[in-house]
Amino acid sequence: MLKPEKMVKVAVVGAKEKLEMASEILYRLNMLHIETVSEDEHFKLGSPFEKAGQASRALLQLRSYISYLKLDPSKISVKRKFKKTEIEEKLSKKLSEYQEQIGLRLDEIKKINDTLKAIETEMANLEPLKLLEISPKLLKGYKSIRCFVGLIKADPSEELKKVTSDFEIVLKKYEDIYVTAVFVRAEYGDEFLRILQGYGFKELPVPDVEIDARISELEKRKEELSKRKDQLETEIEDLKVKESELLLAIEEYLSSEVEKAELPIKALISKHTFVLVGYVPAKEFEKFKKELDSRGFAVEQLSFEEHEMPPTKLSNPRYARNFEILAKTYAIPRYKEIDPTSIMAIFFPIFFGLMLGDIGYGLLILLTALYLKRIFKTEGWQKLLNIGIISGITSIIFGFIYGEFFGPFLLPGIENPQEIHFLGNFLASLYAFNHGHPFFDRVEEFGVKTLLFIVLMTGMIKMLWGFSMGFYNVYVEHGLKEAIYEKGCWILGVLGLVCIILGFSYNIGIFTTYPPTGFGRILPENLYVFGGTVAEARAVPLPIPGLVTGWEAGLNYFYLAALPLILLWLVIFLKGEIPKMGIFGAIMAVELLTWFGQILSYARLLAIGLSSVYIAFVINYIGVKVGFEPGIAILPLAIVIMLIGHGVNFLLGILDPGLQSLRLHYVEFFTKFVEGGGREYMPFGRVKKFIEEGGE
Amino acid sequence: MVEALIGDTAFIKGCAAIGAGLAVGVAGIGAGIGESGIGAAAVGAVAEDRGFLGLGLLFTVIPETIVIFGLVISFILMFAYG
Repeated sequence: MLKPEKMVKVAVVGAKEKLEMASEILYRLNMLHIETVSEDEHFKLGSPFEKAGQASRALLQLRSYISYLKLDPSKISVKRKFKKTEIEEKLSKKLSEYQEQIGLRLDEIKKINDTLKAIETEMANLEPLKLLEISPKLLKGYKSIRCFVGLIKADPSEELKKVTSDFEIVLKKYEDIYVTAVFVRAEYGDEFLRILQGYGFKELPVPDVEIDARISELEKRKEELSKRKDQLETEIEDLKVKESELLLAIEEYLSSEVEKAELPIKALISKHTFVLVGYVPAKEFEKFKKELDSRGFAVEQLSFEEHEMPPTKLSNPRYARNFEILAKTYAIPRYKEIDPTSIMAIFFPIFFGLMLGDIGYGLLILLTALYLKRIFKTEGWQKLLNIGIISGITSIIFGFIYGEFFGPFLLPGIENPQEIHFLGNFLASLYAFNHGHPFFDRVEEFGVKTLLFIVLMTGMIKMLWGFSMGFYNVYVEHGLKEAIYEKGCWILGVLGLVCIILGFSYNIGIFTTYPPTGFGRILPENLYVFGGTVAEARAVPLPIPGLVTGWEAGLNYFYLAALPLILLWLVIFLKGEIPKMGIFGAIMAVELLTWFGQILSYARLLAIGLSSVYIAFVINYIGVKVGFEPGIAILPLAIVIMLIGHGVNFLLGILDPGLQSLRLHYVEFFTKFVEGGGREYMPFGRVKKFIEEGGE
Repeated sequence: MVEALIGDTAFIKGCAAIGAGLAVGVAGIGAGIGESGIGAAAVGAVAEDRGFLGLGLLFTVIPETIVIFGLVISFILMFAYG
């Protein structure tokens, strides 16, 4: 559970001629994670089977259709699975059919698009010509006169006059430039062109027919083409509805054929034999060996060396498997490392519930997740929504403990629950067995203190736990000495910090006085080194000799225990760090403060929750005041306020606890032991979605 | 006059309350400035690849710890003098 699945390194050996058969069997078994190997004198990497070329060409074409049709296999729920034989039978016929029905249509659509673009350009060119108000017949076809028609940046008349005054110019403003027609005798033509070009002249093509006629002609053509395009698109769309499953089934078939045909690239091949090296999960090894033995292949178990890293196949109970996506987002653990998924599966929902802690919001999350589960069928979504369901349930449980339903119904200083909560009296009567009080009141001062203490304790425990697992991870990979230097010393250091925090708590009376200042007499009152009482110690909660006067009174046994722990940590730390980093390594000891910060960081478990409680309280308060207060009593307005307010708070209530809970795992917990960098176990073969299993 | 004020419990309570408010408020501003840069970069990354959303959100909330420190300080102040 806490370790990735055990792997066995195997070599599959067989006659070279039977490699194709081996690829079929291995693909069906879907167990062997094939390793890349290096060639030597006698064994060379193979080349793909002949059928690969043909299949991959067909696949390429098919995929281009699929991508055009925007078919996403993960979004299609399978109604009917195809038999492999059925696909093989239909394959060539269907491929040519798709070529005809989709391929040709796509080509035509492409052509139409090109033509439409050309029409657009021509129409854009005709528009300025219309402004000239000269018939196109008069704009071209002269023998002794040159005519320039086009766009120009400024009026060129002055400059043209320098050449000859015997010319005609029509100039009309078009957007921020001009459209012009210049008529001049042919002999001045070239000179005029040069001048015009100096003014940024851009010639426009002149149509043969009247401009308006041409425009309406083009518009008609455009309409025809668009209609044809729409028709083609609907035809393709119809085909998509009808054929999508078969299309994807063929894609699946072809890609598995290609994968199978490419197996030799990963195999070492000699004159007569082939060898495949890879990893198989240990518990499936027997089955794997039996299956291949019976077909005449030899399966040999190899031992792997220290530096080799088998692929990681996470192995978790069904419930925890939902959380694998969250854990993998951080890193894929290495083969020998502890897999943190199961721990996360327990603590993520608890943290979420601890923060949100509201029956109403929890129910909403639960119902939303249940509803969405019926819409989003892909594996990733299902897992994520399962996490939502679990988190919703823990929120409801904590909500019951805190006594919150869309906000609290009890606040210190308020007598009547109905005053601050629209269901106040009902909720109070629900808790009648406990004198109208919830089990734990987190809005009142003692509740806040208690919760703060609980979450900080959680932080300390998880910090130590994380370091212990880090110790194990390093010990397994690099030995005891490294483990002590790298993680062990931090365990001592953090333990020292914990003692200091406990000593501080003891001094302010948390363990020796009754609520509201403490949790009762859990510990004896005389844990002071120099004798003293809690009452005296309160004045000096942090007894630092030399800095605090009268520190002797505050020195309790917790502080006394912290001293050797911190010293021991410092000695081991410096011993480990200074040879590596030189004298500057000593500065790294400051890192101990980071861990202190990270313990405090667990206070967010309290803080996030409290903020959402108070937002809910304010919304309810406004709602009750607006809706029921004599003199105002605008019930619909109150309902709108509450709907919007609780809606926003609900969204915040999913986002913030979710993210913070995730962060507490990633940053404060995983960094202590997960090194990551593992390779995911990806066996040769695939789980078929559109093709029936075992149909071969 | 200052002497008199320092001895006044109401004055101390008031100062503690102001301090608590400042602790959360100023820490919030700091965290906000920190998050703005990360958030902008995260949005950019998400625009490139939607798969980055989870990690991007996560990076964005990392500076929030500072606000939590502020909050803890304000709690301590309020418990001690409130």
